[in-house]
Amino acid sequence: MIIQIENLYKSYQTHVALKDINLNIQKGSIFGLLGPNGAGKTSLIRILTHITEADSGQILFNGEKLSPNHIYQMGYLPEERGLYKKMTVKDQLLYFAELKGLSNSRAKEKLKYWVDKFDIKSWLDKKVEELSKGMQQKIQFIATVVHEPKLIILDEPFSGFDPINAQILVDEILILKEQGASIIFSTHRMDSVELLCDHIALINKSEKILDGAVNEIRQQFKKNHFEIKYEGTPLINDHNINIVSHKENELVQTDIITSKQFQSNNELIKQLMQYPISLNAFTEKLPTMEEIFIQAVNQKQQSHA
Amino acid sequence: MKKSFLIMTLVSPLLIVLFYGIIFYFSFNKDLGEDKKLVLVNDATGIFQNQLEAENNISFQYKNLNEEASLEMLKNAEIFGVLNIKKEGEQIQYNLIANEQPGLSTLNGIESKLEKVLKAKKMQDKGIDASLLKEINDISVQISTQKSTDKGLEKSNSGVTTIIGFVGAFLIYFFIFLYGVQVMKGVIEEKTNRIVEVIISSVKPFQLMMGKIVGIAMVGFTQFTIWVVLVAALSGPVSSLVMKMAHVDPSSIAQTTQMSGMPTDELAKTPVKSNASMAILSGLNQLNIPMLLGLFVFYFIGGYLFYGALFAAVGSAVDNETDTQQFMMPITLPLIFSIAISQSIINTPNSDLAIWLSMIPFSSPVIMMVRLPFGVPTSEIIASMACMVLGFIGTVWLAGRIYRIGILTFGKKPSYKDLAKWLFRKS
Repeated sequence: MIIQIENLYKSYQTHVALKDINLNIQKGSIFGLLGPNGAGKTSLIRILTHITEADSGQILFNGEKLSPNHIYQMGYLPEERGLYKKMTVKDQLLYFAELKGLSNSRAKEKLKYWVDKFDIKSWLDKKVEELSKGMQQKIQFIATVVHEPKLIILDEPFSGFDPINAQILVDEILILKEQGASIIFSTHRMDSVELLCDHIALINKSEKILDGAVNEIRQQFKKNHFEIKYEGTPLINDHNINIVSHKENELVQTDIITSKQFQSNNELIKQLMQYPISLNAFTEKLPTMEEIFIQAVNQKQQSHA
Repeated sequence: MKKSFLIMTLVSPLLIVLFYGIIFYFSFNKDLGEDKKLVLVNDATGIFQNQLEAENNISFQYKNLNEEASLEMLKNAEIFGVLNIKKEGEQIQYNLIANEQPGLSTLNGIESKLEKVLKAKKMQDKGIDASLLKEINDISVQISTQKSTDKGLEKSNSGVTTIIGFVGAFLIYFFIFLYGVQVMKGVIEEKTNRIVEVIISSVKPFQLMMGKIVGIAMVGFTQFTIWVVLVAALSGPVSSLVMKMAHVDPSSIAQTTQMSGMPTDELAKTPVKSNASMAILSGLNQLNIPMLLGLFVFYFIGGYLFYGALFAAVGSAVDNETDTQQFMMPITLPLIFSIAISQSIINTPNSDLAIWLSMIPFSSPVIMMVRLPFGVPTSEIIASMACMVLGFIGTVWLAGRIYRIGILTFGKKPSYKDLAKWLFRKS
């Protein structure tokens, strides 16, 4: 475990930001910290990055109690991006690298690696304010990972990225993961990370309402919905299946169905074969993270009530 | 390094020297700043006929005019005004009609000339003869000053000490403002750019704040040293140039005195310039320059740290520069107050007020600079320095408390009440 959080509490003057948070983040995994705005994600991150302190609770980094020294092993990309506008790209990156404990020569070495990688040699002597927004985002990303952190914390990493740069970012994150880094993603756009994350935690109103491996959670919340595409007479509800929704265009009908006595996917397909249709596609419909979130929030509220 | 910084560093001393050059130039050639004024004297009494002295910028012509004619004369652009003098009973009435409201100095000049004529007339009426009158007018007293110290009597020169004191005070005032505002701007930049979140995750807020303050102090000191060297190098040639342009040599002084109708021979004999520069040199010799410089550096750093910390706190509390106004007031007021009051401190460098103001760290850097050249007891210097050190430790602590909260607080513009809460909040 790179991070273990136990019974973490944090409150500000007027409200509680985090209430009894327990989390484990595995080494070498991509962890999604999901929740709506104001749920407490940034508060949690600020505690991890030593910007603020928790009221109570314990955090272990790599098995040791979290201490200011661990900061050198973390890279943090805050939600609100910022660089020194009048400083050159080179000075800026070296400054951040040395701030994170790299020696000057090591910092230059790492800088060269990223410069070659992103092919930004011509930017080095430019001031940040001369760069486009996308370029600035790249510089900020390099500043976050230049010191080879073991834990990379990205707060809303995709906000402001165009699709091409977002893909570059995803690729880099996957490479960093392969090299052994652990990554925490914090976002309120749940769809954006569900494909990328291995584990997630859902936070709402300062409480954790759900966590676990993405696949397990989706299995856990699935409603046995199946999407089928077929040609022929439209299906109707009967003793075997329920039609949840029905769409049709010129040739192909698309239905979402549930099975009344579900045993297995194969069994359901067998049953479908008996209808006068020609089946084109059969997909198990897993709930999206957003649907899961809404469902989990509702369950939580009902259990409270 | 930024180009603008380099240019400012190199050009500023030139501007400073030029600035003072221009001031000196005008103070030597006063009439440059004023137009020549021709006043028509319409004297019904006859007392002043051909008696009023012409001066550099005011001259008189005598004409008998009635009211309409004088108004007609005023249409002539060369004529500044018409001075009507008439007797009403025992009283003489003076009335100046002019196209514009005359300046105070012009009015005073004309009044004093009228008075001079009247006084001379009175004396002559009482039987005092003209040569005696001239002797009386030529009486002049100059006091040379000596200071009694432990080492015996020392010569002193109030003029030089005044200038040195004021220049030192002004420099400190100027630099505290200049670099203090830079600290504040730097803090605001880091805050609004949100760079601070990345940095605060690596260093403590206090370290970041002190880094900012000390960093700018270093820049300031480098800049200052360059300026001192350049100003020293430039002021020689520039001042001689100004002297040349201003024609400040004995013959020009003789010329002006001749114009004013005063006896020239005696004045021309006095080597005005060399005398003055001798006095300045000997005045400088009396001062303990190394100690003055040392204390200047101390109060420069102390005052800067004291105010710089407060400026940093203001920068951390706000989201943008326009919001700084309300918090700047209490910081800038004592600074402006001390430079304003330093003019009266120069006249009474050892008054109770002067002593107290040179103890309080809010004003001591500026006021102490004013007082030092006049000689300040060592015990007072030590006490003031101790207050300064305590003062900046205090403001740095205070600023640190506000900074650590302010730098991560966005959105709402804080009130003084909020700042007070931040002071005592646990992190």
